[in-house]
Amino acid sequence: MLKYALRRILGMIPMLLLISIVAFFLALAMPGDSFSGEIDPNNTDPEYIEEMREKLGYNDPIHEQYFRWVSNFVQGDFGKSTKYQIPVKDLILQRLPNTVMLGVMAMFFTYIFAFSMGIYAGRHPHTKMDHFIGGFNYFLLAIPSYIAGVFAIYFFSFQLGWVPFSGSVDIAVESGTLDYWLSRFYHALMPSLILGALGTATYTQFLRNDIIDNSQKDYVRTARAKGTADSKIYNSHILRNSIIPIVTFLGFDIVQIVNGALITEAIFTYPGLGQLFLTSVNAQDYPTLMTLFVMFSFLVLLGNLIADLLYGIVDPRIRVD
Amino acid sequence: MKNKSFLWLMAMVLMLSLFLAACNSEQTEGETPGDGEKTSDNGGSDSDDSSDSGSDGSDDQASDEPTQGGTLTYAIDSEPEGILNMAFYGTATDAEIMGFMVDGLYTFDENLKAEPNLATWETEDNKTFTFKFEEGVKWHNGDELIVDDWIFALETLAHPDYEGPRYANVKTIEGAAAFHEGEADSISGIEKISDYEVKVTFDKARVNNLVNVWSYPMNKKRWEGVPVKDMLGHEFTRTKPIGTGPFKMGKVVPGESYEFIANEDYWKGAPNLDKIIVKVIDNKTVVGALQNGDVDMVPVHPTLGKQVEKMENVDLVTYPGLSYYYVGFKLGVFDNEQKKVVEEKEKYANLKLRQAMYHAINREEWIEAFFQGYGSKVNGPVPSAHWISADESELKDYPYDPEKAKNLLDEAGYVDTNGDGFREDPNGDEFVVKFSHYASSNPTFESRAKALTQYWNQVGLQTELQMIEASLYYDKIEKDSDDIEVFYGGWSTGADPDPSALWKSDMLWNFPRWVNEESDKLLEDAIDIEVVGTDSAKRKKLYSEWQQIVNQELPMLFITELQETQGVNKRVGGVEYDVSGSNNPNEWFIKQ
Repeated sequence: MLKYALRRILGMIPMLLLISIVAFFLALAMPGDSFSGEIDPNNTDPEYIEEMREKLGYNDPIHEQYFRWVSNFVQGDFGKSTKYQIPVKDLILQRLPNTVMLGVMAMFFTYIFAFSMGIYAGRHPHTKMDHFIGGFNYFLLAIPSYIAGVFAIYFFSFQLGWVPFSGSVDIAVESGTLDYWLSRFYHALMPSLILGALGTATYTQFLRNDIIDNSQKDYVRTARAKGTADSKIYNSHILRNSIIPIVTFLGFDIVQIVNGALITEAIFTYPGLGQLFLTSVNAQDYPTLMTLFVMFSFLVLLGNLIADLLYGIVDPRIRVD
Repeated sequence: MKNKSFLWLMAMVLMLSLFLAACNSEQTEGETPGDGEKTSDNGGSDSDDSSDSGSDGSDDQASDEPTQGGTLTYAIDSEPEGILNMAFYGTATDAEIMGFMVDGLYTFDENLKAEPNLATWETEDNKTFTFKFEEGVKWHNGDELIVDDWIFALETLAHPDYEGPRYANVKTIEGAAAFHEGEADSISGIEKISDYEVKVTFDKARVNNLVNVWSYPMNKKRWEGVPVKDMLGHEFTRTKPIGTGPFKMGKVVPGESYEFIANEDYWKGAPNLDKIIVKVIDNKTVVGALQNGDVDMVPVHPTLGKQVEKMENVDLVTYPGLSYYYVGFKLGVFDNEQKKVVEEKEKYANLKLRQAMYHAINREEWIEAFFQGYGSKVNGPVPSAHWISADESELKDYPYDPEKAKNLLDEAGYVDTNGDGFREDPNGDEFVVKFSHYASSNPTFESRAKALTQYWNQVGLQTELQMIEASLYYDKIEKDSDDIEVFYGGWSTGADPDPSALWKSDMLWNFPRWVNEESDKLLEDAIDIEVVGTDSAKRKKLYSEWQQIVNQELPMLFITELQETQGVNKRVGGVEYDVSGSNNPNEWFIKQ
């Protein structure tokens, strides 16, 4: 197991290198730079822009720019955001708590919905309720998040006034108090529900199919023959086996937590990393953009690794060694 | 037993909705959300006013008498960068936020002429100015404002380590260049006379020395010991900025909301409001938030104006803007090294062609369609609200007249010789107008560009439209890329009326590459103290003459100037807007 883990970790190094190249050249391939469109005679002048381009090294040969970036990056210096003018590290740390909160809550909702619906549907396959759950899930899956977000704001914020439509916290409450955390929770509720609901379908259907699959297996028949209660068979014997495929998703969920939801965060003006990523693309804020890109990619790798390792732990039959 | 998990699911849903309902009642007590049939007199709009301050007995009348107290929610629809220091900020959004807490030495009146604010000034020759500061003005931390604070700001801007974009606002001061290069310890042109008086000498006499010089002081005492290179990231810039303005910065949630608390010691009188909360919202939610009273004031995009106008609880305030949209022609190629136009482009050199293209456009219809009427047509490069703008009668109007356009094209030799329905150029070759417009996620851009091409198609000029990605667009125009021929663009003018940066032939941002000696001469004269002295009427006359030349030569077809539109909830009073922006927010109040 240890050997396997080590091998996987070493294998990540060339991947990371490739990712850094892709991140850098994709950013560079975008037309213009962070000063494009900054043409406003009231605010700035061509000489200043030229001076800043020179200072930031935009005029240096590409390979020099790349190696400078990589060597700084490896040393933990992610550069300074060209838009916000503060170190990218600080910027990310500022946004990270929001995104983690949103991601964890979204995952929580996903699990609740998926487990309750998946278990029910798996136990009562081909009933009306099962079809309804299936239909409902695919419906959720089919709605793009920007539509869902806008509709949710319209109904729940504007028509019903249940939830706020923007921000991550009410500025009037004292930081650190219980009210503050409740306000944080309250602000993250709608976006995380939207996010969670969209991820539910895959989980539910996987779980359902797996439960149905398992319920026809020999060990279930044996258990039934021995007179074990149906609920016990489903809740402990089958469920334990059916969770295995779900575990593989957990790795990707970690990505989702930090990656946030680009669109959802933007629509709810929820200041997390997803929103930051989107604005940095629009503002051509290379340092922020590249750091986030590498970070997200790294988390995908990490998530994969964790999923593979968890697999072995949950199911001894597939332990690799 | 069988349905246990289903029941569980239902229970979860129920719990969730209970929770939601609980949150709801706590947050928006007594609010009756608009469902389209709300009447204006049910008071729903002020239900989220959580102010608990004592009212002064004028409860029943929604009069115009200012009342004390209350919290106003002000929204902005784009994300600020959070650089809350006048000396460093880069975007208008940051400036809008700081508008609540800072004061400048001068402000602008409704004609965009400078008027004294924190300081008065005197000058005899427009080279040396003596500024006299208001006495007894307090910073938010209690320090008194003295001239050192302003000198400190000027020195920060000129400092070699300074990273912001404002050096241009001090470099005209004598000795600033030497200081900027690190050759001097102070700026020689600044001479402190007393704590409230300072003499500033510029490198030469100019008419716009005053409006060009940096007018926002920085609290020297507070910044003591902070090197210039650390200022940009410092908490005094980011989360704990101060000023001398009507509101103090309270709490900051970066990029999301900002709390402003009334400055009771404000030198122009304490504000009526207790608090202003500035909130960042997505532009998709502007209409809903206004309707529900979640925000009291928010800038509204013209395309949403009609929707806001219909609301019973909101006024749509419009005021003249300072931006205009144009269609430009590439008439040459600029060399930035030599600072001059090195090559002429012939394709649109014929004035009659440009005139014809102007007459072909139905500007009224176009403005109505794409800006819902919140704009009016312009015939010159200065928005009509500006004091240098030429009188309407002095400029030639180019009304929509397709027949005239066709005649002009016939006269100029652009006729259809091969019978394909489109005109050929005077040599009989295919003539295709290549029109460019920037593309973004805004869906109206392509249709408004398309509309312009159709106007030209209708008079027989075959037009091709290319939408260019926004970040690439101005780069291409700036570099005179070959595929840019006729281009759409927008400019906004500042308080300083001098249009040289956009119009003189040696300027990079003179995008049409239009070279006209007379125009250059007029622009130079208009800021030459020898010619115009301190007489603004004389200056205006020169600018009017210049506008007439542009209006006749048409290096650009001027399409429209926009109105600024702001949604203001009816419960808010004392708000006024003119071309220079809003009145001082210390006059705003919440009607009882």
